[in-house]
Amino acid sequence: MSDKAIGTYVRPEFEVDTLKEATNVDVERQLSLVERISNINAVRKMSILLGLVILWQGYTMIAQPEPLLFPSFVSSAEVLWETIVSGEMFQKVWVSLYVLLLGYAAGLAMAALFLVLAVSTRIGSDFLSTMTAMFQPLPAISLLPLAMLWFGLGIPSLVFVTIHSVLWAVALSTHVGFMGVSETLRMVGRNYGLRNIPYILKILVPAAFPAILIGLKIGWAFAWRTLIGAELVFGAAAGKGGLGWMIFEKGDNLDTPYVFAALFMVILVGLIVENVIFRNIELNTISKWGMQR
Amino acid sequence: MADVKAISLYIRPEFENPAVEKAVVGDIERRLSVWERVSNMDPVRKFTVLVVLVVAWELYTRLGSINELMFPTFSKTFAALIDALVNAGLLINIWNSLSLLVTGYVIGISIAAVLVVLGVWTRFGSDLLTTLTAMLNPLPAIALLPLAMIWFGLGNQAVIFTLLHSIIWPVALNTHAGFQSVSETMRMVGRNYGLKGLPYICKILIPAAFPSILTGLRIGWAFAWRTLIAAELVFGGQVMDTSGQLGAEGGSAGGLGWIIFQNQMENQTPYVFAGLFTVIIVGIVIENGLFRNVEDRTIRKWGMQQS
Amino acid sequence: MPSEVMTTGAADATSAASKPNAPILDVEGVTIQYKTKEHLITATYRVDFQVFEADRFVILGPSGCGKSTLLKAVAGYLHPVEGEMRLNGTSVTEPGPDRVMVFQEFDQLLPWKTVKENITFALLNGGRCASKNEANDIAMEYIQKVKLDRFEDTYPHMLSGGMKQRVAIARGMAMEPAILLMDEPFAALDALTRRQMQEELLALWEDTKFTVLFVTHSIEEAVIVGSRILIMSPHPGQVKAELNAHDHSHATIGEDGFAELQSKIHNMIFADRVLEDEVVNHG
Repeated sequence: MSDKAIGTYVRPEFEVDTLKEATNVDVERQLSLVERISNINAVRKMSILLGLVILWQGYTMIAQPEPLLFPSFVSSAEVLWETIVSGEMFQKVWVSLYVLLLGYAAGLAMAALFLVLAVSTRIGSDFLSTMTAMFQPLPAISLLPLAMLWFGLGIPSLVFVTIHSVLWAVALSTHVGFMGVSETLRMVGRNYGLRNIPYILKILVPAAFPAILIGLKIGWAFAWRTLIGAELVFGAAAGKGGLGWMIFEKGDNLDTPYVFAALFMVILVGLIVENVIFRNIELNTISKWGMQR
Repeated sequence: MADVKAISLYIRPEFENPAVEKAVVGDIERRLSVWERVSNMDPVRKFTVLVVLVVAWELYTRLGSINELMFPTFSKTFAALIDALVNAGLLINIWNSLSLLVTGYVIGISIAAVLVVLGVWTRFGSDLLTTLTAMLNPLPAIALLPLAMIWFGLGNQAVIFTLLHSIIWPVALNTHAGFQSVSETMRMVGRNYGLKGLPYICKILIPAAFPSILTGLRIGWAFAWRTLIAAELVFGGQVMDTSGQLGAEGGSAGGLGWIIFQNQMENQTPYVFAGLFTVIIVGIVIENGLFRNVEDRTIRKWGMQQS
Repeated sequence: MPSEVMTTGAADATSAASKPNAPILDVEGVTIQYKTKEHLITATYRVDFQVFEADRFVILGPSGCGKSTLLKAVAGYLHPVEGEMRLNGTSVTEPGPDRVMVFQEFDQLLPWKTVKENITFALLNGGRCASKNEANDIAMEYIQKVKLDRFEDTYPHMLSGGMKQRVAIARGMAMEPAILLMDEPFAALDALTRRQMQEELLALWEDTKFTVLFVTHSIEEAVIVGSRILIMSPHPGQVKAELNAHDHSHATIGEDGFAELQSKIHNMIFADRVLEDEVVNHG
């Protein structure tokens, strides 16, 4: 290489005085209408949903499966409409949501209590991490038999398992989030003279909000699943209740269109909570603050 | 205010310390005492917390004259656990649960993989995947169990069907989201090397999106484990309702959820606690043993963990 | 701005003659130790220095000399094992809004607050203001001082590194602390921005003559920014010298005195043969 003696080719400098106007090309052009429409996400997804519905209805009309086993889309939609109009559906939804809200709120309150202890002392922190390590892997639903033993068949048992499903998920995620708050932010907070609860509320909570939100979402997902599961078990044992129980009861009686209608409703509640409530919280907090990971 | 007070600098003579004191300091760096170091070890402190909890439990149940049926002592529970392991075939119950779970997990991941590959290749596939996951991910898998019982009857097939549902959507959702957030730079690097199609997915997209894939696998496992236990409990109730004959359905002796349900029905509370312990231990082994290990060997080693 | 800065040295020399009554910050025989998981480490050993009103007091030293540790102790985050630090006569025991700190890290702004809210939050929680309106007015005044008007409703993640540091400085000054603590505030900036920020800091100082304790590992920055430079030896940190630098600023960079002082400091630090990359012509 070295003996090839490559030299630098020194060439004259130059400057351009006037730049040429761009001709013959559109510097900027709108896409065609079809291109623009097919770039709209909602439009594409709606058409996919429509396609799936047509597929379902078409299948039941052509293959004629036993309606008890697999009802058509139309008959499921009819039942859904009827139950909504008669108010039966909303009553069931409300029964489930009521228990869920009770459990969720109580779970959050207990998680907050544990977290305050964990933030203020090292023993509290060790206690919380041991408890979460132990109870987080335990499916809340498996405590249902015990809850039935302690509280009998009824709302207290359902609330108990719902609390259990929310508490550890939220506590774990928030605790990890707190521990991940940067030393700089902590020092800034203490620099203003913030201590104890104001320090937690004004510095740690917002700084750990991405992790807290994840905890809240996982907690909700577990709670919703646990509650539906618990209502199914209750349905088997005795009692009456919300959506889960409705699914179980109608399934037992082979009222399959009702099962589908109830499943719709479960999906709807889930979609509203996840895509409306949580999505909005996210948009107004961590997205706005640029804290997404 | 600055103008009024006329603040000015106070200029003072310079000085130097000719000889900085050397070595008079004593310990510049010293190892902490054994006690301090031991109490700095996480496992030691956590184990202590556990021991304290166990002692508190034992004392509470002994001294508080608690009804044995409602809340057995720790020692009774522990004896029940040993007895169940040795005599009552608890290991078979564990195996029954885990084999169902693993079957469902493997099939579920394969289906999710197919869906995600479709989603990577075509825009239609991507739209289909996002629509399906958006719709079905919020649906608790256990809610499908009654439907599965109508279609497949009371048995393993119905359980696997619900398990599949609990695994496919979180895994597909997280993997797809992970793929989409792989940076443009990383994609261009991969294409720079001439990678296309499956090699491109396996060698660039999967490792780059591994943090969210692992998250998906974890959530999938957590949902599946919960669904399985719930399904076994529902089965228990169903069997009680219809035949009154325990253990008649669901294979040989049923899984862990079943054992918990059965013992509760027979008022064997120490055995219920023992069953719960087993569920916790299985959960810890899989989460801390398996997933933690995978995480240590991959994203932690690569410095890619998200939090 | 540079034109104002140019006169700094001369003006100070003439107007400053008499000794002020008492130092703002009096650090006396301070030894600081901290613990890692396995070890106990002595960061500084019996450090003395005094900061007077309107000082731009710079602590300079190679990494490992405990200068940041010392600053954190002054801020109240760490407690010395011997010696005492007195702020206006009262002993420092814990963090407080009378010593506001500007950090090197860009994440020192609360990401969930806008630029203005970051300052008003400090004012309201630090006890400097009781009413929101008052805090708003003060915040806007200082935002204008660091030339960030138009950005007052922006969230920190939209700002560049230099702008974030400006907000942090505005926040620190708005609190009107007895002493402003700066922990290598410009170290994470690119060279051009760093120079601009140094100029702006000096201009702000001309304006309000605040007292600042500034930590850096760049000799050049110390000479430009500082009116008095404390030089520390490494491991554990001890006072090696205290020099005057009030005659120097960006305007005198080319002059002999500047280079002379720079090489004097350089020799002092390297007398210990501690070759620390950072000290070699950083900045």
